[in-house]
Amino acid sequence: MSTEMPRMFFREAIARAIAEAMRADPRVLVLGQDVGAFGGAYREFDGLYAEFGAERVRDTPVAEAATMGVGVGAAAAGWRPVVSITYMDFVMLALDPLVNYGAKLRYKTAGRLTAPVVVKTTAGARGQGVAHSQCLESWLMSVPGLKVVAPSNPADAYGLMRSALRANGPVVFVDHKRLYPIPGDGPAPDTEVPIGKGRIARHGADLTLTTHSFMVHTSLQAAVILAEEGISVEVIDLRSLAPLDVDLIQASVSRTGALLTVEEGQVTCGVGAEVAARLRERGAAFAGARMGAIAAPVSSNPVLEAVAIPNAERVARAVRLLLRTRDSGHVDAGGGELSAL
Amino acid sequence: MMTIRAFEQALAARPNHGFQLLSAGEEAVAVGLCSALRPGDQLLTGGRSIGPALARGVEPRLLMAELLGKAAGVNRGKAGRGHLADPESGFFGAHAVVAGNISVAAGVALATKLSGRPDIVCILFGDGAAGAGALHETLNIAALWRLPLLFVCDNNQFSVSTPRRAALAPRKLSDLAAPFQIPGRTVDGMDVNVVAQAIELAASGVRAGEGPAFVECESERFAAHSSTARETRSREELKHTRARCPILRLIAELQATGRLDDTSLRALELEVEAEIAGAVAFAEAAPFPDPREALADVD
Repeated sequence: MSTEMPRMFFREAIARAIAEAMRADPRVLVLGQDVGAFGGAYREFDGLYAEFGAERVRDTPVAEAATMGVGVGAAAAGWRPVVSITYMDFVMLALDPLVNYGAKLRYKTAGRLTAPVVVKTTAGARGQGVAHSQCLESWLMSVPGLKVVAPSNPADAYGLMRSALRANGPVVFVDHKRLYPIPGDGPAPDTEVPIGKGRIARHGADLTLTTHSFMVHTSLQAAVILAEEGISVEVIDLRSLAPLDVDLIQASVSRTGALLTVEEGQVTCGVGAEVAARLRERGAAFAGARMGAIAAPVSSNPVLEAVAIPNAERVARAVRLLLRTRDSGHVDAGGGELSAL
Repeated sequence: MMTIRAFEQALAARPNHGFQLLSAGEEAVAVGLCSALRPGDQLLTGGRSIGPALARGVEPRLLMAELLGKAAGVNRGKAGRGHLADPESGFFGAHAVVAGNISVAAGVALATKLSGRPDIVCILFGDGAAGAGALHETLNIAALWRLPLLFVCDNNQFSVSTPRRAALAPRKLSDLAAPFQIPGRTVDGMDVNVVAQAIELAASGVRAGEGPAFVECESERFAAHSSTARETRSREELKHTRARCPILRLIAELQATGRLDDTSLRALELEVEAEIAGAVAFAEAAPFPDPREALADVD
């Protein structure tokens, strides 16, 4: 990215993309808890209420299910709502209108209606406990008709939000509590990041690491640690989880022959499991391993939270273990990461 | 009402008619309701959608084709009874998840309001939906935002097998509107004129920008929950229930006041018969969708 671009925070990228869309299209709305004068839990809707008013930036009651229903209904009737679900854990409350109605509307009406809603929600652990920390994006990847994106930096957040606001159907835009304080290069104006395209965040030769959202930063730190040991890791920021950019991953794995998938959510039926299965189906040969949260809830207790989710040191250890196992032909009977805790 | 009854009977009599929720006994709710809606209004329903769709003006032959899974259907046979939609006819759509369409209707109402159109949106749901949180959440939002949304509950007394009294605490289901300062009324859903007048009155307030209104229509379900569900009522009970037929009631009333003679009634019956026969023939002759359509309109 050009160094001439102004630096900006994640929240500014989101607010800018939505504000521009609202100026260009009077049918773009924002619905959700605390999105109005408060400006959003992370100030990611800052300025929208002042510019567009209470008609188009609507605070809702604490009623995720109905809010999502209103969102998909207004979308079906020709509007373009951004529905904010403060924490991703609460998307559970709103799954019925999103999955049973919004995602299927175009199919079930044979194209007569569609629900182009953008669901913006914040995932990830940051001291808020078992029901405010979860990364559930893999749950949504299997829903036909639903797109899922999870950017890791302000420029991609801007570009993916722009694309989501032009999509044909519902898009879930997942961000992360720990991304909000991290500044990044600002986007070039009007750049869209197409949904379905990943990005190589760091080039490397020995192993391909796929990840998304905040774990991109964790993984890049691990790559720096490993580089000092002479291990060259290629980090792929998936950006879009549904659809997945399998071509990009396959090209990388065909060069490195090794794949570590890293996510903050659970590995069972996780993003990494899907990445690995897609590659295997294409006949790719590689040594592979998955890394994610341990199979336990994520506590608000700082010690228990830290032990539950991947950090750079643990990612680095998993890379070393994977490469050692591949090179020695010996499978670690201890079960990898958990036994190493 | 006669068209709905004959249409559903023809459908149910046909082998391989699929899984259907029929509405015999509830025709007066659908017809009375739709008589008070205007062309620009939109109706959304739960899964018991056939009667309301016909009453709203969805073409019987296109509806029959849809229900039989034919590509000539209003949604190319993909939606079926549970999800059919024909917004150009003012039938925005059914949604077979109980209570699932209530908040969606509020979204359509919000879009209508923001567009500045004078139209209203009506959500028709069963008594089963009255126990769901979606109704409470949506009543609150609709009242708060003064949405042009008319809530109509077709209380057919049963959620599959569970009697309404065993499932829902409120004395009247229209009482559910009261905490939100939404005007609510309970009326006899077996009398089409009573339903029509109640809906007209409630809709006039909604049209005037007074915000939502709620009408409960107490009806009877003459058949089992679905075309494959077991009937739980006794023969005696069913006989008693079916004697309350809204169609016979209207005919008797019209005849007693000299507004319908036997010749006109017979002509009406023949007209309905011919239309339904035409709809069935059209649907039977229509092709099924190509299997490749399974992947069309997904993304």
